[in-house]
Amino acid sequence: MVDVTTGVVMTEEMIKASQVGMKAIGAGMAVGLTGIGTGLAEMSIGAAAVGAAAENKDMFGLALLFTVIPETIVIFGLVVALLLLF
Amino acid sequence: MAQAMSGPAPYIYVCTRTRVRKAKLLPPEEYARMLNMSIHEITRFIEETEYKKEIDELGTSFSGIDLIETALSWNLAKEYQNILDITPGTLKVFIKAYLRHWDIQNILTLLRGKMQGLRPGKIKEVLIPAGSLDRVFLDRLLMEETPERVAETLKGTDLYHIVNREISRAVEAGTFSHMENELYKEFYAGLLDIARAGLKGGSQFLSFIQLDIDITNIRNLFRLRADQFVENIRSMMIPGGSFSVDELQQMYVIKDQNEFIETLQKRMTVKPVQEALEAMKGARSGHEIDVGLTRSQLEQMERMSKINPFSVHPILVYLERKRYEVVNLRAIARGKESNLSADRIRACLVI
Repeated sequence: MVDVTTGVVMTEEMIKASQVGMKAIGAGMAVGLTGIGTGLAEMSIGAAAVGAAAENKDMFGLALLFTVIPETIVIFGLVVALLLLF
Repeated sequence: MAQAMSGPAPYIYVCTRTRVRKAKLLPPEEYARMLNMSIHEITRFIEETEYKKEIDELGTSFSGIDLIETALSWNLAKEYQNILDITPGTLKVFIKAYLRHWDIQNILTLLRGKMQGLRPGKIKEVLIPAGSLDRVFLDRLLMEETPERVAETLKGTDLYHIVNREISRAVEAGTFSHMENELYKEFYAGLLDIARAGLKGGSQFLSFIQLDIDITNIRNLFRLRADQFVENIRSMMIPGGSFSVDELQQMYVIKDQNEFIETLQKRMTVKPVQEALEAMKGARSGHEIDVGLTRSQLEQMERMSKINPFSVHPILVYLERKRYEVVNLRAIARGKESNLSADRIRACLVI
């Protein structure tokens, strides 16, 4: 096969290797981007949780629970990454 | 450290803390219960709330109404200073500037006390060191013999130039009202400058200050109209709000009370204030008007804090709510001490 943009002839092995690389990039992006999303969400919730727990220690458990709820986003990302890789 | 931090996290942190504290304030039904209690029962009751530490600390030195008053003042000052400590970045600038009105209140109380020859201990009971002038500095002022000496000791503070300029005139006239007007005008002008300085969150602070100025001007207009002895009220009005000073002067001279209220309603687009003004039509006492305006101001502040949940508004709302909790508790305690009826005391409460 000839790559029309570069004019380089690609062998079957090269195509397979390229596909594996693309999958790895996709998996990395799935984890990385969801990680950033989780971080942004947890920033606000965490700040509020620390504020609430500082005023009322009984809220600590509930505050912690709320803070980790956005972790689900990164878990979804991880699942997608694992599905891509295996 | 807080100043080095960026992003909304510090705002969210402090706003949440103030919201939790606001939720801990006494609910309206507790005031109703307290109206049926004696002074000792009220002391015991507030000892079970956020005022425990102060009541325990002062219990050996004071008793009865003095204990309640002093504990409330100490708690208020401590609370305000604590809020200032946890507030980050530009919010601190706004809060610090806003709390300066306690300095004005303290200095005026001190000057009036000195003028009347009250002993320092008595004056100290009513001082609330919640502003930039701390307890140590106020103690130094308390030791001064005359109002002139107090003014001299203020050298180096923001208030010095106005107090020093006005003191001889005030002592001569025997009243500090002109000085009070000047101090508050300068205070609000300073707040407006800070709000317009381009700091982050300045526009929200500006809206809060303008509401405060409007309510103060409207309250003063009602009071002046009830007295009806001044021709020109321009010098008593605070510029910078929704109304110009000339506009306020024009409103002041409107003869009919209902017409005056309608003119205010047309200009004041804030819904809670409009509703409060509507309720003021007809014969109402000056005190009821005062309380009604304060309630509407607090309601509008609440609304603003919900529109901007992570701004200076929730903090300022808490500061004001806390202030009125102390005012209410003091009113109940003082009312009980003077054997006033429950209805009479209830009318003075800002709930």
